[in-house]
Amino acid sequence: MNGRLLDNGFRLLGLVMIGVILCFLLTPIIVTTVMAFDARAYLGPLPPPALSLRWFAQFFSDDYFLRGLSTSVQLAVLSVTISLCVGVTTAFAVERASFAGKEMLISLFLSPLLVPPVVTGFALLLFLSHLGLINGFARLLCGHIIITVPYTIRATLAGLAGIDRSLTEAALILGATERRAFWDVTLPLARTSIVSGAIFAFAVSMDDVAVSIMLTDANTFTLPVALISSMRANFDLSIAAASVMLMLVTLTLIVILEKFVGLNRVIGQGVFRS
Amino acid sequence: MPPSPETVIEFRNVNKRFGATTAVDNVTFTVAAGETISLLGPSGCGKTTTLRLISGFEDPDEGTIEIAGESMVGKRPYERNVGLLFQHYALFPHMTVAENVAYGLKHRHWPKAEIGDRVRDMLRLVQLQGFESRRPGQMSGGQQQRVALARVLATRPRLVLLDEPLSALDAKLREELRLELKQILTAVGSTTIVVTHDQDEAMSLADRIVIMNRGRIEQQGTPDEIYMAPRSAFVAAFIGRTNWFHGRISSAPSDGYFRLTTEAGTTLAIRDPGAVGDDKRSICIRPERIELVGAESAAGKSGDNVLPGQVVDVVNMGAELHYIINAADGRIMIVEPNREGARVRKGDGVKLQFRAEDCVVLPQDAA
Amino acid sequence: MQAGRGSLPLLLPGCAVFLGFFFLPMAGLFLESFRLYVPGSIGSSANAPLTFANYVELLTPAFASFFFETLRVSLLASLAGLLFAFPLAYWMTRSLSARWRAIAVGFFVTLMFLSVLVRTYALELTFGAAGPLRPLLLSLGISPNGRGYIESLVGAGLLHYIVPMATLTLLGTIQNVDPRLVDAAQALGAPAWKAHLTITLPLCMRGLLAAFLFAFTFSISAFVIPMILGKGRVLFISNLIYNRFSEIADYPSGAAISIVLFAVALTIVYVMSHQVLKRWK
Repeated sequence: MNGRLLDNGFRLLGLVMIGVILCFLLTPIIVTTVMAFDARAYLGPLPPPALSLRWFAQFFSDDYFLRGLSTSVQLAVLSVTISLCVGVTTAFAVERASFAGKEMLISLFLSPLLVPPVVTGFALLLFLSHLGLINGFARLLCGHIIITVPYTIRATLAGLAGIDRSLTEAALILGATERRAFWDVTLPLARTSIVSGAIFAFAVSMDDVAVSIMLTDANTFTLPVALISSMRANFDLSIAAASVMLMLVTLTLIVILEKFVGLNRVIGQGVFRS
Repeated sequence: MPPSPETVIEFRNVNKRFGATTAVDNVTFTVAAGETISLLGPSGCGKTTTLRLISGFEDPDEGTIEIAGESMVGKRPYERNVGLLFQHYALFPHMTVAENVAYGLKHRHWPKAEIGDRVRDMLRLVQLQGFESRRPGQMSGGQQQRVALARVLATRPRLVLLDEPLSALDAKLREELRLELKQILTAVGSTTIVVTHDQDEAMSLADRIVIMNRGRIEQQGTPDEIYMAPRSAFVAAFIGRTNWFHGRISSAPSDGYFRLTTEAGTTLAIRDPGAVGDDKRSICIRPERIELVGAESAAGKSGDNVLPGQVVDVVNMGAELHYIINAADGRIMIVEPNREGARVRKGDGVKLQFRAEDCVVLPQDAA
Repeated sequence: MQAGRGSLPLLLPGCAVFLGFFFLPMAGLFLESFRLYVPGSIGSSANAPLTFANYVELLTPAFASFFFETLRVSLLASLAGLLFAFPLAYWMTRSLSARWRAIAVGFFVTLMFLSVLVRTYALELTFGAAGPLRPLLLSLGISPNGRGYIESLVGAGLLHYIVPMATLTLLGTIQNVDPRLVDAAQALGAPAWKAHLTITLPLCMRGLLAAFLFAFTFSISAFVIPMILGKGRVLFISNLIYNRFSEIADYPSGAAISIVLFAVALTIVYVMSHQVLKRWK
């Protein structure tokens, strides 16, 4: 009897915990979304008396944010493109070879994931200053490349690992050279993983704060950096509008990811951010 | 020495090591045009490595491999014109059936106009007409195997290698496809090497069997030779079922037969004991060569071995009857066709009778 | 299959990027941490002598307190995250239909993809001093500007990332545990809670440790979350590094703190993955 009581007690506790945590996860999101449409010009208690798009208008008319957005998008596109080239070639080179230190080499290439982003940014800043590179965009690009490359490498490696070795061998014995087998068999089959890696890299680049904040200069800054400065200076609801926009971007990325790759594959390979 | 024009592949004194393990140990065999041989053996015996050496995915440490007189040294797999049917088919999942079958033709630069016809012909050969635009993922195991076969045969390779062709299928399908496979290979006139661990597959598909164990060739021969005249205990035990007697050659030959005495005291008449150093021998006798006779029947002619025993189990396998008999030297199994049902019951006393000529005499293996 | 030689040129872009954007900068950082800093200048001068002073400075209680606060909040947040994530993952695996589970997975992946700024801002907006909950908090006697509350808020911010991540990790782990084992235990007389404690939990240890590892290293390296939610009162090590850099321009000290943080993160990863995970093979 005692056991059953405890069982029910624990079950109830579990359900309560699940309810609490789901509320906790959702509430800030919901509050922000609602407040983004608040018609008031100040931060007042919930619920907002009237709805309006004023904060969105303010966000889009703010030159500061728009410049940040433009820079962020340019950086993301550029760095992801370069990361893809670097990541895919590296992953292919490592995957094909089989030598003693292979695991270590892979860990080495994935090591930037372990370093606190502030440290990465700081180290890069000192190094690039020493080299005399002071252009803000170039510095930011370097930073964004190094934080996105581990994701493209990891995603490509995961995709390659899923390709049965005998498929490449089948191509070879049927008359294809190594290069043709790569184009005909390996690349098409790894394509979905490579795309998922690109999407992750894009999200990482758009969202990065710590590295960007170290490498930014007065003229060149990313949207997250702009948002943070704005938050510290003037905590108003235009940032709520920006948040809703970013949420939409995230949702779009997720939908693309689900259509292209399937989310189960993403979880299974552990390619998600860590 | 140039090989005769009918030899398609000559594999001579080939060694292959992986680290400390010798996977292929001084292996030599040839295959003539139109012949089907089987490399048969347990896992780890070296048959798969041999296959990979022939197809070019591994290079031998020593020895020569010649296909149609050409040395294969330094030749990559795509330069050998050898066909390989993979154990799990290795069909390209992102291509249609037609694209899969046409892949080899494309890369061997067949003229475009002919490729379409050839693909259609091959699909007709394996009875998959109309499947051109299907994808491998939408097909059953048996259908996939046929596509894989069509893909292999499309380019008219000089040599066809089959890697455990039927092992991925369930038992019923396996039997059906075995016959079909043999018919297709004969129709095409291909020279084939079948690698398998399944003796039924080897016995039914191959003209000659090469039995391998731990990297070495134990014995080569026709299925009949292998079965009736195994030259080692390993081969005897690997193919079919066996009953064993171990003992010493006891007396000089009389009335044309030698005598072997087992530890249990049984004396068996045997033919030629073979020229081995000592007098220890193992006798192997196949279950269907032993006759079950009544306990009261008298001994037969000279050269007949008659032993008493007790029935321990009678197993009705449908088409066959298996009798398990306890004799002085241990358990004996007898197999006979099931014509009128079991003739004895558990616990009955019986006599076993078999001829000296049916005893296969082998040196006593340490194992 | 060989092709070792052929892949060497393929490695060049990767090696160039890693060398130039990572290894050399990190080496430079390491070197910088040993340079002497003269207050008032920007960074160290070109021929500054080498010294251990930057590291010695970290042994003072002032720095140590930052260090321990970071570790403490990170530890609590990680443990709390696991505590909440486990029942959540269990419920998702056992009680949800495949369709709903896929939707839940989608929800958590979306949460993880969501910009850290958005989440942090949302938390500050909802639970912060200027937010709609202010009257409620004051009526409960909690000061929204008090240090305890701010620390908890930072922990909550970490939690907001940790829980989805841990839940997704644990999904796979729990799916690998045969539910019939618990049934068998109950058939042998153990109440459900005991069965889970002695069977499910130990079998999930590897997943739990992996999730904890992710959560903890993420937390101690956190920058944005403590920066926004900490409001300058609660500083994590990453914020300290940034302050050294932006406010004081004491690069050597910033470098030293960076190296220490990096070393701690590496040690934790090494200890967890090799020693502890091995025990639960």
